[in-house]
Amino acid sequence: MLDKNMFALPGASRMLAVLCFFTLLKAASVVGQAWMLATAVDLLRAGSPVVDAAFALAGFLVCFMARQAIVFFQDGLLERYADACVTQLRSSLLQRVFAEGPLFVGAMGTGNVVTLALEGAEQVENYLRLVLPKIAGVVIIPLVLLAFAFPFDWVSGLIMLVVFPFIIFYMVLLGKTAKAEADKQHDEFNRLANHFVDTLRGIDTLKLFGRGADRGEEVFAASERLRRATMKTLRTAILSGAVLDLFATFSVAAVAIMLGFRLVDGSIAFFPALLMLILVPEYFKPIREYASDYHASLDGKTALASLLKAAPLDAPALRLAEPGASYPPWSASSVLEVRGVSFDYADHRGLEGVSFSARGFSKIAIVGMSGSGKSTLANVVGGFAKPSEGGFCASFGDGEELRPFDLASDAWRRQVAYIPQDPYLFHASLRDNIAFYRPDADDAAVARAIEAMGLQSLVEQLPQGLDTPIGEGARALSGGQAQRIALARAFLDPSRRILIFDEPTAHLDIETELELKERMLPLMEGRLVFFATHRLHWIGNMDAVLVMEDGRVAEFGAPDELLARGGALTRLAERTLEGGRR
Amino acid sequence: MSHSREFAPTVQRSNAASGSVCRAPLWRRDTWIKPFFRQYRRALLLALALGLATFVFAAALMFTSGYLISGAPLVVSVLVLNVPLGLVRLCGVGKPILNYFERLASHDWVLRMTSALRLRLYRAAESEAMAFGSKRSTGDVLGLLAQDVGHIQNLYLRTLFPLALGGILYLALVVCTGVLSFQLGLAILVLTGLAAVAAPLISVLANAAREARRKQQRARLYDTLSDNVLGVADWMFAQRGADYLAAHEDAQRALRAEQRRIERFNRVRDLALQLVFGAIVVVLLAWAGTRFGGLPDGGANWVAAFALGFFPLIEVFAPLSSAAQEAGAYRDSIERLNDLPDPDETPRATHVAPREPLDISLEGVQFRYEGEAEDTLRGLSLRIPFGQKIAVLGRSGAGKSTLASIIRGDLVPQQGSAMLGGVPCAALGDGMARYLGVIQQRTYLFNATLLDNLRIGNPDATETEVRAALVRVGLDELLERLPQGLHTMVDEAGKRFSGGERHRIALARVLLQGAPVVILDEPFAALDPITERELLDTLLDVFADRTLILITHHLQGVSKLDRVVFIADGTVSLDGAPDDLERESVYYRRLLALDRGGRLG
Repeated sequence: MLDKNMFALPGASRMLAVLCFFTLLKAASVVGQAWMLATAVDLLRAGSPVVDAAFALAGFLVCFMARQAIVFFQDGLLERYADACVTQLRSSLLQRVFAEGPLFVGAMGTGNVVTLALEGAEQVENYLRLVLPKIAGVVIIPLVLLAFAFPFDWVSGLIMLVVFPFIIFYMVLLGKTAKAEADKQHDEFNRLANHFVDTLRGIDTLKLFGRGADRGEEVFAASERLRRATMKTLRTAILSGAVLDLFATFSVAAVAIMLGFRLVDGSIAFFPALLMLILVPEYFKPIREYASDYHASLDGKTALASLLKAAPLDAPALRLAEPGASYPPWSASSVLEVRGVSFDYADHRGLEGVSFSARGFSKIAIVGMSGSGKSTLANVVGGFAKPSEGGFCASFGDGEELRPFDLASDAWRRQVAYIPQDPYLFHASLRDNIAFYRPDADDAAVARAIEAMGLQSLVEQLPQGLDTPIGEGARALSGGQAQRIALARAFLDPSRRILIFDEPTAHLDIETELELKERMLPLMEGRLVFFATHRLHWIGNMDAVLVMEDGRVAEFGAPDELLARGGALTRLAERTLEGGRR
Repeated sequence: MSHSREFAPTVQRSNAASGSVCRAPLWRRDTWIKPFFRQYRRALLLALALGLATFVFAAALMFTSGYLISGAPLVVSVLVLNVPLGLVRLCGVGKPILNYFERLASHDWVLRMTSALRLRLYRAAESEAMAFGSKRSTGDVLGLLAQDVGHIQNLYLRTLFPLALGGILYLALVVCTGVLSFQLGLAILVLTGLAAVAAPLISVLANAAREARRKQQRARLYDTLSDNVLGVADWMFAQRGADYLAAHEDAQRALRAEQRRIERFNRVRDLALQLVFGAIVVVLLAWAGTRFGGLPDGGANWVAAFALGFFPLIEVFAPLSSAAQEAGAYRDSIERLNDLPDPDETPRATHVAPREPLDISLEGVQFRYEGEAEDTLRGLSLRIPFGQKIAVLGRSGAGKSTLASIIRGDLVPQQGSAMLGGVPCAALGDGMARYLGVIQQRTYLFNATLLDNLRIGNPDATETEVRAALVRVGLDELLERLPQGLHTMVDEAGKRFSGGERHRIALARVLLQGAPVVILDEPFAALDPITERELLDTLLDVFADRTLILITHHLQGVSKLDRVVFIADGTVSLDGAPDDLERESVYYRRLLALDRGGRLG
């Protein structure tokens, strides 16, 4: 019943203690309300005029409202508490996202990260607000009422006491049965539940094969099967609530009947009897509320667990920027050494003992077959992927000694421009997208970048020119245009002397690729370039080629040398181009 | 982000928003909610009756219990109490059982309607008249619509049903008390009316604008966060992650403030509602005290009965306001569904049959998408004799996929003609699938067995035929690897298979379909060159005797085909056999040199 994760949240225990205090007050007002109501009924029944019972009636109303007022304040308090918790959870998740970047996001899935940060956080908030007070209620209110009932009428007290463990027992039992039942048909159930979306998403395919029209009946039939499966599960799942209800109403009936008999033989007075009758439903109310919210709070419980797993609150604080550490800009005499770097994915090794060194403004192509580790290496050089073994040494200045260096550092990122296959365009104006690395760039500089990357015609086409919003949900641009914008970003910031490309032209049509190549080559001058690609024509423009095979460096050297040697690069070129000509 | 205009047969762009200028109120226009109420009214009535009985029993349990204990001290013999005793027992057992069946009945009712809704949505989506915006992919739009059906399920269960039940109970309560006494009836009418009618109305009015604002803020937050998480690498390199996080927290705080206003309103409203309930109990008690108090012969017994009877009903009336408020959240879903076209009922199978040979002939084809300023195709002419293997190249947006849609008959040229075997392509309708197969950039695999996925190509194919097709496309090894062979389930979007394997499955599907003309719409865009080369070899082998139209973005392997066509500015800019082009066209030679690897080639 108690969720360990909940108490991992700061201040949860204190909050629960405060809630227990509130609940105690609530229990007192429940008793007061019952007492006053019973008094009023007793008076009126005996024929007293309403005026005489006015005091009791007013007392009832005061107690009744006191109880509501406690709920009112308690909710306000909880709202603030839950909000504070969730804000902390969410910001620790987002901190992690923006500190660790694409690899962390990739492992979780972008959709998951966003859903967890927004919807998941809301679910946790709801969960805290539902469950915390109910825990207090389910423990305290029955205890207080029982303690109050026994001295007045031990028979009713006994009925209440005996029924309670039964309720707990049956709830657990039925909960388990329902779960087992649900687990049993889980796969089939899921398949049916997703069948509709699956069919809709594949509707293109169905139509292409001329099978669209006859699928309608199947959609209906699958939906009806799902209905029957759902009803079967519900019959057991709802049963626990029904049994609980049955126990509660049955107890009320039992108490009423027992009271009736004893009233007849005069062994109990009317007032305590009525008091009991009013209190019995209140006794069962907390557990009924707890049971009815139990399912509603399950997703919150799951979300809390995922949030804490993704970004533990007790993890050391992450830094998003470290202003202090600064190195001189990358120059012709700078050196980066990659020493024995390995990288492990969750289920396989991506890189194995990769070593090479990059000097000054050399242009290095990274080639290899799919799955050979090209992109992983680009990720490592970009500082997204932390090596599981090995490391880096760098020397930035003239004749400076090689010192261990962290590529996942801001000192490195400040000098790097990274251009992936699908450069991301933010939902913002074209200008903001171009000036992303240099938000302070003046118009003249932006104009030069546009000119250099051949974006003038795009700017002319756009209705509001540079101020036109682009990106997701706004104006869609072609892959070539997105590449040009990414290149313009790099052009606009000459302080970034290191360029990392990851398959920048793989998906572009050949005519666009040709045009882009002409724009890209000048940009590479005077910069250190890492260029991961399977389009081999690029290697003619590179100073060195790094051929990857199964996560290892198969060959590293100048392109002409390697081709003359007839090793891994030659093999790769032959496999790629073989049959390309008759 | 998809850069190419993918070839999707059901998608015809049109601006659906143009009709939204002047419209009747939603509840009057609605054709998605109301009809199903009518159609399933018997199940609804059953659920309502059970719901009503549940609360009548709950109130009766407390009412008779109160009567019982008030009466008991006055009687001489237990026998007199037989009737109330029996009633107490009946109500005690009956209420939870009724409640159980009510919940089952209401869920059953909603799920039945959901099946009908799904069928209707499917038909609408399937119908030719489907119109989507260009912003989202077809799959996303349909996913959203599927969710909308889920929302409507909630609307029925969480808003409409409780409101109907509350309304009926309210009326019943007013009538019952009104029969006892006009003044009491009036007081109940007013007081309960505050909870059952006024509070929900006020809540909707007071919170509608806030809820709409909140929803908008939330959607915006969702969009911007997705946007920026997708671009997280750029934020890291720009070292501006902290700026963005601060901006996000601000937006989140603004949303929170709006939410807090709504919740504060709700809390105050709930407190006021409780005051009303307390007042109702006091009024009932005061009336019963005046009316029955001190009466001889057990008349006074009614006092306690009235005092206790109302309490269970609070559970019905208290949640009505939040239920009404929730309805606003479903508005967008209902709007979206109502904006869908009605499935067209006209038969789409036609009796025209193209004549052999199945040549494709496009004459002066002009096409412009609705709402766009320029023609995509401008007088394009192209003849493809049967059996020819032709590559279609061009920049993204040049109109390659539009051309494919026109050949398939999904788009109709505004000028010029598109014919297959002497018959206009569009006239073939659904029958086109007999003549023309398509392999798309992304192969969709249904969450079913591999066999079912392949049989989409031909439902009558035997297992032997399916196996043979898999062997021909080079998937025999894969078949052996699968635990249950052909009967293995294709898991979540087929993540079991690599990109190359998915394409081969698509190939087998089209092979089974047996269509004499095959269009491949950039099938290799996501593959590495080696996989691509192997796939092209398989392709040329299995489709050796058919027409093959390969839309591609580069020249790899193109020299193995009979003909290469470049499309630029909406028309054919270069056309010829690969060898001829290599000899005659400088431009082609430059591209070829690029593709073959500069000085490598």
